[in-house]
Amino acid sequence: MKQLKLLALIIIPLGIIIAAMPADKVKQSRLTPDELLQEAGAGVQFISPDVVADMLVQKDPSLRLIDVRTPEEFENYSLPGAINVPLSNLLSDEYTDKLNQDAYMNVFYSNGSVYANQAWMITRQLGYENNFVMEGGLNYWFGNILSPVTPSQTSPDEEFARYDFRKSAAAALGGGGVISSDAASPVSKAVKPPVTAKAKKKPSGGC
Amino acid sequence: MGPLAPNEIISENTNFLLAFFIGIAFGWVLESSGFSSSRKLAGIFYGYDTVVLKVFFTAALTAMLGLLFMSLFGWIDLDLVYINPTYLTSAIAGGVVMGVGFIMGGFCPGTSFCGAAIGKIDAMVFIGGLFIGVYGFAFTYGWWEKLYLARYLGEPKISDKLGISDGLFGLLMILAALGMFVVAEWAEKTFAREEY
Repeated sequence: MKQLKLLALIIIPLGIIIAAMPADKVKQSRLTPDELLQEAGAGVQFISPDVVADMLVQKDPSLRLIDVRTPEEFENYSLPGAINVPLSNLLSDEYTDKLNQDAYMNVFYSNGSVYANQAWMITRQLGYENNFVMEGGLNYWFGNILSPVTPSQTSPDEEFARYDFRKSAAAALGGGGVISSDAASPVSKAVKPPVTAKAKKKPSGGC
Repeated sequence: MGPLAPNEIISENTNFLLAFFIGIAFGWVLESSGFSSSRKLAGIFYGYDTVVLKVFFTAALTAMLGLLFMSLFGWIDLDLVYINPTYLTSAIAGGVVMGVGFIMGGFCPGTSFCGAAIGKIDAMVFIGGLFIGVYGFAFTYGWWEKLYLARYLGEPKISDKLGISDGLFGLLMILAALGMFVVAEWAEKTFAREEY
């Protein structure tokens, strides 16, 4: 009976402590490789540059662009408002609160999609949410958003709508085909002229 | 961090090695607390010795509290811990077979190896029966398959079914176990036997 009392004295307080903890603290979720493979295969992480451009033009406060290239490349040119989280430092503690959060919609980008996608894979595996990848990366951004190609006469209407949107977005984002890499800092502050031709094309996808 | 093997912090082989040592320790503790005596084990059914209930519930509480606290501290991800899937019909049927075997043989599978290790003949006979059962089931699996796979419930947790947190269920479990211990102590006094 004495042992029983001693046992009760130890485990009841422990039970009360654990019962008082909020349920989600008692759990941390990570993705199994299977789940990750499924998500990566479905391509749920990709977000089209048109959507990003639209959000930038609209100054959507929930968007946070994350440049995963090296600091030198970031210095050279970055998208407006982007922050730099080099892929090699992705797991350092100073970035954890930026990557593991539910306030912003983080969009990773790199020159292509590969590095950004790697960043997404790693953070997703850790169970982080609200991270996305800009499809095609900066290469696509330059080639298609900032200097859109005029569609041919026979193109469908959507092509023209997209072209119009991209042209106005490029104007708003300081593009227009004359992007030189030294024009870095003026570009990132060039969000000023609200020439916003109120996006003709509704952004597809997104969160 | 944990669980160690699924997160590949230790290899599958190290995992087996650890299991080997833990197994030896487990067997030693079982034997030294008298679990190799079928009379002591059968006592739970007659009430004169409830050490089985006490030991296994204490073990369950220790493991439960350990896992919940380690999860709270971020040391283990409970989502990655293997949970035996529940097939309700076979769980009930298996429980009945296990219980009948326990009272008839005087051992449960683990303790029978403990008994055999110190040379008890009845434990060796029990192990023989155990293997007949295992092989008998395996070779006639076709007959049982439907029953075996009936009423699959996935990996349910009682706390989820009740809609309460794991921690609160843990506390209730502790209180229930302590209540059972009190009843067990009462039974030991009421149905006491001199020699067994």
